[in-house]
Amino acid sequence: MRNTGTIATLAGLPEERPTVRYLAGVRWGLLVAALLLSLVGLATIHSASSELALDYLPRQALRLGLGLLACALVFTIDYQTLTKFSLPIYLTGIALLVLVLVFGREAGGARSWLSFGAAQLQPSDFAKLATALLLARYLAGVNRRYLTPAQILAAVSMVLAPMALVALEPDLGGSLMFLPMLAGMLLVAGIRWRYLVAGSIVIAVVGAGLWNFATRDYQRQRVKTFLAPESEPLGAGYQLRQSKIAVGSGQLTGRGYMQGTQSQLRFLPARHTDFIFAVLAEEWGFLGAMLVLALYGAYVLNGARVAVRARDRTAILLVVGLLSWFSFHVLYNTAMVVGLVPITGIPLPFLSYGGSFTLANFVATGLILGVDFRRYVNR
Amino acid sequence: MMEVREHREDLLQRLPVLRISFIVLLLAIASSYWFVQVVQGGYYRTLAENNRLRKLSVMAPRGLIYDRDGRVLVGNVPSYNLLLDRSRSRDVGASFDFAAQILGRAPEELEEAAERLPSGSPFAPVLIAENLSLSQVARFSVANLEHPEFEIDVGHLRLYRHGPLTAHVLGYLGEVTADDLRQAGSPYRSGDLVGKKGIEQTFDRELRGTNGERVVVVDSRGRSREEFGGRAAQAGEDVRLTLDLALQERAARYFEARVGAAVALDPRSGEIRLLVSAPSYNPNLFARRLDRSEWQQLLESPHDPLQNRALQNTYSPGSIFKIVVAVAGLSEGFTEEKDAVYCSGGARIYNRRFRCWRRQGHGWVNLREAIKKSCDVYFYYLGQKLGIDRLAEYARRFGLGQHTGVDIAGEKPGLVPDLEWSLQARGTTWYPGETISVAIGQGPLLVTPLQIASVLATTANGGSRVVPHLRKMEGPARREPTGLDPRALGVVGDALWAVVNDGGTGAAARLAGFDIAGKTGTVQVVEQKTWVDSRDLPFDKRDHAWFGAFGPVEWPELVVVVFVEHGGKGSAEAAPLAKLIYEEYRNDRDTRRPS
Repeated sequence: MRNTGTIATLAGLPEERPTVRYLAGVRWGLLVAALLLSLVGLATIHSASSELALDYLPRQALRLGLGLLACALVFTIDYQTLTKFSLPIYLTGIALLVLVLVFGREAGGARSWLSFGAAQLQPSDFAKLATALLLARYLAGVNRRYLTPAQILAAVSMVLAPMALVALEPDLGGSLMFLPMLAGMLLVAGIRWRYLVAGSIVIAVVGAGLWNFATRDYQRQRVKTFLAPESEPLGAGYQLRQSKIAVGSGQLTGRGYMQGTQSQLRFLPARHTDFIFAVLAEEWGFLGAMLVLALYGAYVLNGARVAVRARDRTAILLVVGLLSWFSFHVLYNTAMVVGLVPITGIPLPFLSYGGSFTLANFVATGLILGVDFRRYVNR
Repeated sequence: MMEVREHREDLLQRLPVLRISFIVLLLAIASSYWFVQVVQGGYYRTLAENNRLRKLSVMAPRGLIYDRDGRVLVGNVPSYNLLLDRSRSRDVGASFDFAAQILGRAPEELEEAAERLPSGSPFAPVLIAENLSLSQVARFSVANLEHPEFEIDVGHLRLYRHGPLTAHVLGYLGEVTADDLRQAGSPYRSGDLVGKKGIEQTFDRELRGTNGERVVVVDSRGRSREEFGGRAAQAGEDVRLTLDLALQERAARYFEARVGAAVALDPRSGEIRLLVSAPSYNPNLFARRLDRSEWQQLLESPHDPLQNRALQNTYSPGSIFKIVVAVAGLSEGFTEEKDAVYCSGGARIYNRRFRCWRRQGHGWVNLREAIKKSCDVYFYYLGQKLGIDRLAEYARRFGLGQHTGVDIAGEKPGLVPDLEWSLQARGTTWYPGETISVAIGQGPLLVTPLQIASVLATTANGGSRVVPHLRKMEGPARREPTGLDPRALGVVGDALWAVVNDGGTGAAARLAGFDIAGKTGTVQVVEQKTWVDSRDLPFDKRDHAWFGAFGPVEWPELVVVVFVEHGGKGSAEAAPLAKLIYEEYRNDRDTRRPS
């Protein structure tokens, strides 16, 4: 059997492998979960924006297409190649974050968008992917069972630079999203418990300092609102209250597609972005919400399987970093919508309306699929 | 490369920690969805329903008020009111600032208004401003995206077509008071407008109708999407009055530069055709809530325009009271038609000198002459014979000292003094000298112009008391017998005819072809030692002028009472208006009668 498939040629794969084997090499569960979630997202965005002058469905569908294209493109590039160039990629990310601070477009109180004509990009998502690549490369090179304090500090500082820049925009929620990625990768790379405890103390102290001196009033208000939502039902507690009403009123089977009063009558703010899961839970009920949570579970567990099967430290660490980031978004967002954690601007992967974040999720998916596809190659 | 692969196993050993953490957290979140959606789902479903369903009160259009010929006196015009829904406001302070800027008022004023009319729930909209202009409504509508917390409510505004002309009859609307709300079975709700005076007050329950209710599905901007149910508003009943707008206008014109009151009524039924009190006020000011400075201005304006002088102020009746004294004297046998008394311009009774208004005296006068020329001396002697208790009894039979029962609230009963009153109210005995003053309508005796109209009606209709009223009533008029002697009334009535038509003090009221009987009255406000022309005194010390009349004498249809406060002589100041009113009445009656 001679098959000189183009993908194999482009990716520098041995030519004698049959097409069927290539297809079997793709982690379909991961891809299908991502696609199904994206379709659920499109349907829910349509419902959440049907009362607005502008239906967001076509724009999000376009982004889904772009995301799939990016996914396929990244899939074709060997992750070894990407990690080899991780430093320039990382520096590019830092440069974009500096650019956005200077030339960025302000929206919702934060300067976090770069405009390229009609297209807009949120560099913080790109910076997270770049940081994951650099961290994977650095931690893979550490040839020890446990990381030394110096190595931990080196890894932390790689993350702190982009984090600080994002926090300056100011986008506190977005900057905190670097932490789950760092934590997941450090944990897997090997960190002693005492450093973990010490690190937690440092984060607590620094966090308390930031709380007192560096946070804005609206950020503090959000946390306070979370702690006592009924104390101020007319002010900042409104979002949380409306979200819980939306979720709760969905009951077991939901109010029906496009029938949720909380979203259709516009009681729920941010319903097509950060609070899209509340719309879904209202219209499809507990059963619908659980189905979507199961899809996220399938995505993450398929991804974890990729890490287990991966052949080198770089691959394992890269997949762990990307999945930690992804999982945290899923867990935090769904917990926030139901009122378990304070409200902050953390979107839900594949469901929330948004260009850069959707693109970043598909790029991460492409990276993970690529790692899995090359599990026999990079020995 | 080999070493790297070696340590791959270490990494994989630590992976399950992350995987298990993820699964545990995912399940924890799933269970809180179970709790919120399934366990507490019913509670949140109710909250969602309350979020989207809103009960809106639909104001019933208030009934219209017509005059006797069906001319509209009060109508309704649409008014635009501004409501604030604080639950939709991001910053309530900024909302007030925004509204204040459009309305051109102070933000504090609006906040005060919002506090004043609590709606019960923090999520229900509160009324913060009324009667917006169309351009203001447009500006709020345009700003709906940035300020979804404002709603415009279309209500009805009372429009008093004739303003001050009918103010004292119709009254006005005002905000319901806490006392009104506390009353058992009160149909009112906080913030309701209710009739405060006049017909608006007396017939408030008929006029107001029943407010309806709309249940609408609203979105988060408070815009209604669809009707869900409700109850239609029932419009208030219309009220038809006995008032004659033309007569009202005639009298009001006369009072433009005067202070006082005029009443005209039908002596057969008690239907009030004219009720004017001057000065008056513009009730359209009250249709919206008055602000403090406007109130202050009204309260401080001279001669208290809010006071209804026809029935809320009491005055000495002056010589008009001689009608009562004459009837009492004839009925009780203390005088006969032919009995004559000599008037020298005064009399010494109880060792005190009482002056007649005419310095040179009237000479020999009988009852007819005494009434015609309003001789005081004649009535001094008659009053002395009758005594205060008999005078009081006849005064009460004529309806003095008590409410006439008119359908406007706030009526004063006046005062008919007698011995018992003196002992109780003053703690002193009644001095006989006071009886002499009462006999010519001075002293502690107090009446309202409406009561005098009632006295003349009783005189004109042969001794029946009719209840003066403004609302047109179906069926025969209610007439109560007073027990007064019709013969005595006839004699006095004839003398009253002479007052106007045979060289008496009421000659100014004489109207060719329409025989009027009447009586003048001039009340001294300050006791004078000698004969003084009151025109030389400062305004508030001048005499009050009275004129009361009925006509036509053969078959009386209209009683007219004119009272001019500090006007001077009744013969000169009050009688001419009566003539004008009868003229207007006659012309109107003649044009209606088919020829």
